[in-house]
Amino acid sequence: MRLRNILSSLALCGAFAASVSAAPLKVAFSDWPGWTAYQIAAEKGWFKEAGVDVELLWFEYGPSMEAYAAGQVDAVMVTNGDALVTTATGGKNIAIMLTDYSNGNDMIVARPGIESLKDMKGKKAGIEVGFVEHLLLLNGLKKAGLTEADVELVPTPTNQTPQVLASGQVDAIGAWQPNSGEALKAVPGSKAIYTSADEPGLIYDCVVVTPQSLAQHRAEWVKFVSVWDKVVAYLADPKTKADGIKIMAARAGVDPSEYAAFLSGTRFLTLTESSKLLSTPTKGFDSVAGSSKIADEFNVKNEVYKEPQDIPGSYDASITAEALKL
Amino acid sequence: MSFRWFNVRQELTSRARVVLTVMAFLLPLGAWSLVSYVPVIWGPMIKVTESGDVTWLQPGQLMDRHEFAAQVDKVIAEGKTPPAGKRSNPIFLPAPHEVARALYTAFTAKPVLKGDKWLHESLWTSIRTIFWGFVISSAIGVPIGILCGAFISISRLTEPFVDFVRYMPAPAFGALMVAVFGIHLEPKIAIIVIGTFFQQVLVVANTVRKVDGGLLEAAQTLGAGRRQLVLRVLLPASLPDLYNDLRILLGWAWTYLVVAEVVGVSSGITFFINQQAKYRNFDNVYAAILIIGFIGLMTDIGLGFIGRRLFPWKDSRPSRLRNFIVRLFSARYLCAFSDKPIVTKA
Repeated sequence: MRLRNILSSLALCGAFAASVSAAPLKVAFSDWPGWTAYQIAAEKGWFKEAGVDVELLWFEYGPSMEAYAAGQVDAVMVTNGDALVTTATGGKNIAIMLTDYSNGNDMIVARPGIESLKDMKGKKAGIEVGFVEHLLLLNGLKKAGLTEADVELVPTPTNQTPQVLASGQVDAIGAWQPNSGEALKAVPGSKAIYTSADEPGLIYDCVVVTPQSLAQHRAEWVKFVSVWDKVVAYLADPKTKADGIKIMAARAGVDPSEYAAFLSGTRFLTLTESSKLLSTPTKGFDSVAGSSKIADEFNVKNEVYKEPQDIPGSYDASITAEALKL
Repeated sequence: MSFRWFNVRQELTSRARVVLTVMAFLLPLGAWSLVSYVPVIWGPMIKVTESGDVTWLQPGQLMDRHEFAAQVDKVIAEGKTPPAGKRSNPIFLPAPHEVARALYTAFTAKPVLKGDKWLHESLWTSIRTIFWGFVISSAIGVPIGILCGAFISISRLTEPFVDFVRYMPAPAFGALMVAVFGIHLEPKIAIIVIGTFFQQVLVVANTVRKVDGGLLEAAQTLGAGRRQLVLRVLLPASLPDLYNDLRILLGWAWTYLVVAEVVGVSSGITFFINQQAKYRNFDNVYAAILIIGFIGLMTDIGLGFIGRRLFPWKDSRPSRLRNFIVRLFSARYLCAFSDKPIVTKA
């Protein structure tokens, strides 16, 4: 009898623990079109429909990674390169899906008179060294038959690049939207001489989660991911696109017409595309494995971190595959 | 009259004071308006109105005046239609009416998303952050400061370390505070406490040390013990200055708001400022900065008003507020608020 009592109270405890673990999935995100798009799902109640409780937490990009590394959130939205940096600095994470790849929003913007990367020989470029635009520049220089030694890098915070280009202290800058667009506006006649559209897959944007949360709440993460195709469809449908952009712009706190301009530079990925990019490793930019490998080599070379990261362990293709079966 | 204004350290008539205070705000506003509405004064840019035959120019674009002139010369030399434009200021200097409009829109714009906040609600979040940061800091910092000012032993034990930590930039603790306190209001409050506390201890200690030694000697000859020296002499004698210290330190706490609020989840007025600056909507940025200035100024005027009435030994003009407070806590217990001067400074 006594044993049964103990067992039943244990069962109660278990039920209680289960109800505690039903706390919302805490997802940190920041200002990037591929990520503010998730706001549409929250606004339309799609998470609830899918049967998953999600709390989207709005951050600046840097602080969102800090909060993740400090274990205060279950997931964060980052680029695949920065996901490696976060893992290397103690915030081990696994990419469960891709939201998009940058398709032109990341740019090298040059002052008037510089028509292509070839003209950058011996010139100065304002760039945040060791970060994604640095990688973009190197990628472009290689194609133009130049190396890093041919260009003088001037370390510049991304949000100051428009002013720095306008001041004439550098000949080109590297930045993403909205900074890159503001740089183009700030210097009339300036031109984007190389963009992420020239190398699709250089920068993938993904949702990464803690290994612990993924293990404990796997079914919920599958549901979270499954909502994404609705978001992509909502933004693709001409009838609903404007409403979608309105929600995204409201999240960013700017005018919808201003925000709409960034959408063309973001190539949204459906779950089918995401699943394929995650599950079929290649050597080039046409898979997450290939893209992350290149980012990893770049990070080690630029001493962003010391040891190469475990690339196959940095993503999990099974979540998107399961979400597609729902 | 203007002759009188320049008498060294001579009090002005109340009318002259009001005039000067109003001028203190009107002069900068006037200068700002002049630069904004009379572009010939500065106007280093040209706002393009017609692009002419220059394909890469678009109407509305801003361009450096000299570069624009060079472009016009070049196009004329080629025999094509030159672009046209008018003198204008750079994007970071919006005109007063643009900022006023931004201020109005910011307050009246309804939040689009569910659960998002109105601007006044965001402001309230910021004020709460400051309030708790300052209260927590003061609750610990003021007593420690007073003890440091009273006892040299405590001062030697505390101040070297406080001095050492004081130089550490509070924002550097951001990631650490997130790890300890989570992502909501707590780490932000902690940053404000870190930014304010260490300065506060030193400032309070210094103010207490400045109390006239003669007062202590006089009290000792009257038989005052240690406890009385601190509570009945040092504290009341330094209270008016401490009150002013806290006013200044509250302003100090506000300066930490912007660095505190970028820690953790974006919130408060800072998020508005940062986000609008990222999209270079500088009219909104100025509007938000003006709001902070306005709140700060109002708080300070309010505290100054109360302060003048609290301490009769600094300002002996009769005050209803003081009478009210004195009646509230009967004067026996709180000699600090006594209507009659107990300590008169020579």
